[in-house]
Amino acid sequence: MTELTAPLSSRRRASDNPVVKLAKRIPAFLVIVFLILITAYPLFWMVINSLKGKSDFLDNPSYALPEVWMWDNYARAWEVGNLGTTITNSIIVTIPSLVLIVILGTAAGFALEVMIWKGRGGVLLYVLAGIMIPGQMIILPLFTTFFSIGLVGSLWPLIIIYTAGGLPLTIFMMATYFRAIPREVFEASTLDGASILRSFRSVGFPMVRNAVLTVAIVQFFLIWNDLLIALIFAGQRKLNTIQVGLLNFSGEYGAIDYGPLFAAICITVGGILVLYLFLNQRIMKGLAAGAVKG
Amino acid sequence: MNSVLADKRAIAILLGPALLVYTLITMVPVVWSFVLTFFKGNPLQGFDFAGIQNFQRLFTDSYVHDAFWFTVKYALLTSIGQVVLGYGLALLYMFVLKKSSSIVRTLVFFPVVLPTVAISLLYQKLFQSAPNDGLVNELLVNVGLSGVDWLGAGDTAFIVIIIMDVWRSMGFYGVLIFSGLLDIPEDIIESARMDGARFWSLFRHIILPMSLPILFASAIFSINGTVKVFDSVFALTGGGPGNSTTPLTLYMYRTAFQYSDYGYGSTIALLLTIMCLLITLLLFRSSRRDNTL
Amino acid sequence: MTTAHRPRAARGLLLTVGALSVATLALAGCAGGGSSAPEALTFLKNAENTTTEPILQALADDQCAAQEETLPLEISSVPQADLDAQVQLLASQNGLPVMFSAGGNPAEGAKLWDQGVILDLDEALTDLGVKDKIAPGAISTIEKLYGGAFNFLPFQYNIEGVFYNKALFEENGWEVPTTFDELTALSAEIQAAGYTPLSASGEQGWPLTRLISGYLFRDLGPDALKKVADGEAKLTDPEYVAAAQAIADLGAAGYFGQNVTSLDYDAATNEFLTGKAAMIYMGSWLLGNINGDGNQIGAENVGFFPYPAVEGGAGDIGQYPANVGLPATFGSKTYTPEVGEWLKCIAENYGNEAAEQGQITGFISDVEVEQNEVTATIADTIATSTDSVLWFEALFNAKASNISSTNAALLVTGQISAEEFMGLVQDALDNP
Repeated sequence: MTELTAPLSSRRRASDNPVVKLAKRIPAFLVIVFLILITAYPLFWMVINSLKGKSDFLDNPSYALPEVWMWDNYARAWEVGNLGTTITNSIIVTIPSLVLIVILGTAAGFALEVMIWKGRGGVLLYVLAGIMIPGQMIILPLFTTFFSIGLVGSLWPLIIIYTAGGLPLTIFMMATYFRAIPREVFEASTLDGASILRSFRSVGFPMVRNAVLTVAIVQFFLIWNDLLIALIFAGQRKLNTIQVGLLNFSGEYGAIDYGPLFAAICITVGGILVLYLFLNQRIMKGLAAGAVKG
Repeated sequence: MNSVLADKRAIAILLGPALLVYTLITMVPVVWSFVLTFFKGNPLQGFDFAGIQNFQRLFTDSYVHDAFWFTVKYALLTSIGQVVLGYGLALLYMFVLKKSSSIVRTLVFFPVVLPTVAISLLYQKLFQSAPNDGLVNELLVNVGLSGVDWLGAGDTAFIVIIIMDVWRSMGFYGVLIFSGLLDIPEDIIESARMDGARFWSLFRHIILPMSLPILFASAIFSINGTVKVFDSVFALTGGGPGNSTTPLTLYMYRTAFQYSDYGYGSTIALLLTIMCLLITLLLFRSSRRDNTL
Repeated sequence: MTTAHRPRAARGLLLTVGALSVATLALAGCAGGGSSAPEALTFLKNAENTTTEPILQALADDQCAAQEETLPLEISSVPQADLDAQVQLLASQNGLPVMFSAGGNPAEGAKLWDQGVILDLDEALTDLGVKDKIAPGAISTIEKLYGGAFNFLPFQYNIEGVFYNKALFEENGWEVPTTFDELTALSAEIQAAGYTPLSASGEQGWPLTRLISGYLFRDLGPDALKKVADGEAKLTDPEYVAAAQAIADLGAAGYFGQNVTSLDYDAATNEFLTGKAAMIYMGSWLLGNINGDGNQIGAENVGFFPYPAVEGGAGDIGQYPANVGLPATFGSKTYTPEVGEWLKCIAENYGNEAAEQGQITGFISDVEVEQNEVTATIADTIATSTDSVLWFEALFNAKASNISSTNAALLVTGQISAEEFMGLVQDALDNP
């Protein structure tokens, strides 16, 4: 941090001289180059290793370029990784969970922070406790329950558990965001006879849109990258999510099919990356809009 | 006026569904699991009442002891790393990169997108020492030091885990905190940007205090993830060598699902839950104090 | 976002939740049932196993087409790490598939047998008149592993020993060692010649503990670990610690190469297949790699010898460590005559189909397939050996088995002593 801010602290004296000004920016520039290097490198690393044969991967340093470019790995990845199914499943699970988390969580956060009633503090603590529950703790009872009501063998358990699992943090974060908005705003909006529910929808929700995005992104990666719950409830091949599907590249005695595994990762990550780049503009616009209003 | 904000029906409609889902899917199973802490056994062979045996065992089990301290050390260091570096990144975006920060932000965010399996393989290869040296060891050898069997001993494996987890999520905390910083009024930001000398005083007296809520939220979020660390350790070291990098979650998972002792597994999970609760309450209280100042 | 829509927001929200719970209830209504007669031959296997499915699929298409007609084969797979837990959960809910893999840890398989949820194959195959289709050696291995009964099918059958680089041995005039002392002396020579004597994955752990059990079986006899399981002996007894010490000494001398702790399975195998290591202790599943593209020393240059004898020991060099991989079995509650037809068809045809696909199984096969020398050696050994032993963790509980494999690398790198290692494992055996 000191490195980053150093050029700023001496800017006053330097600002007159463009050369000095430029020189003072060098540390910041180096930091940024370093950052890009350590984050872009794995991308590069994964792509080149996704194109290597097994012995190439094992015999040569893993940062070297492939001896033979094995484009075939991608076809194998698609097939072995069962990617058509796993990508579909991951999407089927993630989107409804996210929508439910955002709607239920924002509404509850609103009720807990904006509305006035006895016992709010208690309920907030009760919800806060949920952030802390380790996923392992609830697996056994849930498996038993879901099995006896016949949900095991479908993707419902994942959607339900991810929704419930994402709620505490979301409620808590939304409550924090609503805390920053004066209650008068909502009271004023209900003066014209609109109900408080309507005011939540038309005033409250838009005001925390920026936070909703943050929460949605947070939850998206938690859900998308979950392995623990998916292992137990989506172990069957037709239910595999992407993370579980990636395990298909491991052999029984500990061998790993490296090339196709990296190819599968590249395919799935590539998709997310495109989505992210596409959404990035919107996300940042949303953030900026939120900031202006805030 | 308060009557509008105290509308019971509206509260029920807004809060009811979330509370219902949360209670049924999280709290009921938790209570269920707490009950299991007094039993020994597994679903296949049935459960026998065990009294407080599991708790007695918890306090004398050296594996729990090791896992507890590993979890504490790991959570503290990783969370500090994540929040501090995340804050550093956010300030960098805000004051150095300004409008052009989008591309850097995206790049630094990128590791979050990667599946744990990919990251752990990358780090295994980066820190490889056998049969050939990985990139890190080659760098060490080139500057005249000797290579280290990073994942071959507990202490060094611990370092690798921390580096990996801080690295993979600092970009995420950068964006999270950055979005919080956007709430700081533009004129303060502008004058801090323009004026290097005033930056420090502005930072200390206005920017830092105003970042506290988002830093605090990030800290809660981070410590939550780190206390419950599972995937990354599982994939990188499998808890080894020996049990030197086994956190409570992994020990709990093994006990319940591999050693089929659900009762004792639940007891370990209870310890973990209590730990998490204490940490959160601590953070929660300290944040309340900050807010009133 | 128009005004007219706003009141619906909250109602919509409620409706979503309502719809969800209705869907849940509806789904709940449809399920239930329990274990009525199966409508398909559902088979749950570990995802890592990629050899069994093509054979079963081939059978379903051809020899067992009639059975496929009545009960279509439906294969699903879960990752190995999760299989035992999944099977246990399913068993507790009476929801086991008709056929399933289990017992990655044999003790867990034995538990299923004790609970009566898996089929007595001895009885079933005798009734069907096809018990002679299973190799006796495989049956004896299964009986040793899974609580004394023949209750799993040997879709795989592996023996273990030392694979060596014949070309390298000939070049340097090295002899195949027949005693452990010879092995040690040879290792010193190999090391002096600039090769890694014995490649082993410390990251996996089990390749190292198998060396300990090999020593125990040769030194104390084939029942050495059975005695530990039965509580008649302890791993901390001096004669047991001696075995761990012998392997720790190999590690201390550097015979496993540098930094063995973090060496993973593929890298260890690759050390041997690229000629950098002269020997590797491994199971016969390695034939897949030996006959594959990654083998740079050539399949014809690979030899196989049994774990050497320990001088003055009670064991015999002819007793091969054997295993059935992660085997599959049938649920006892879903076993109907139709399922029996399938079982019969599998028993009759699996061995031949597997042989044609180049695999070695515990089923008898009567087709002649062309094999290279090392494959033939192993196939012969399996066919002719009458006595087999297990491996170090075979009869351990899951905890001891895990502790053994995660600490093995620490033993050979001197981070813990032989006493400590055996103490840790024994402790896990005593306090599961």
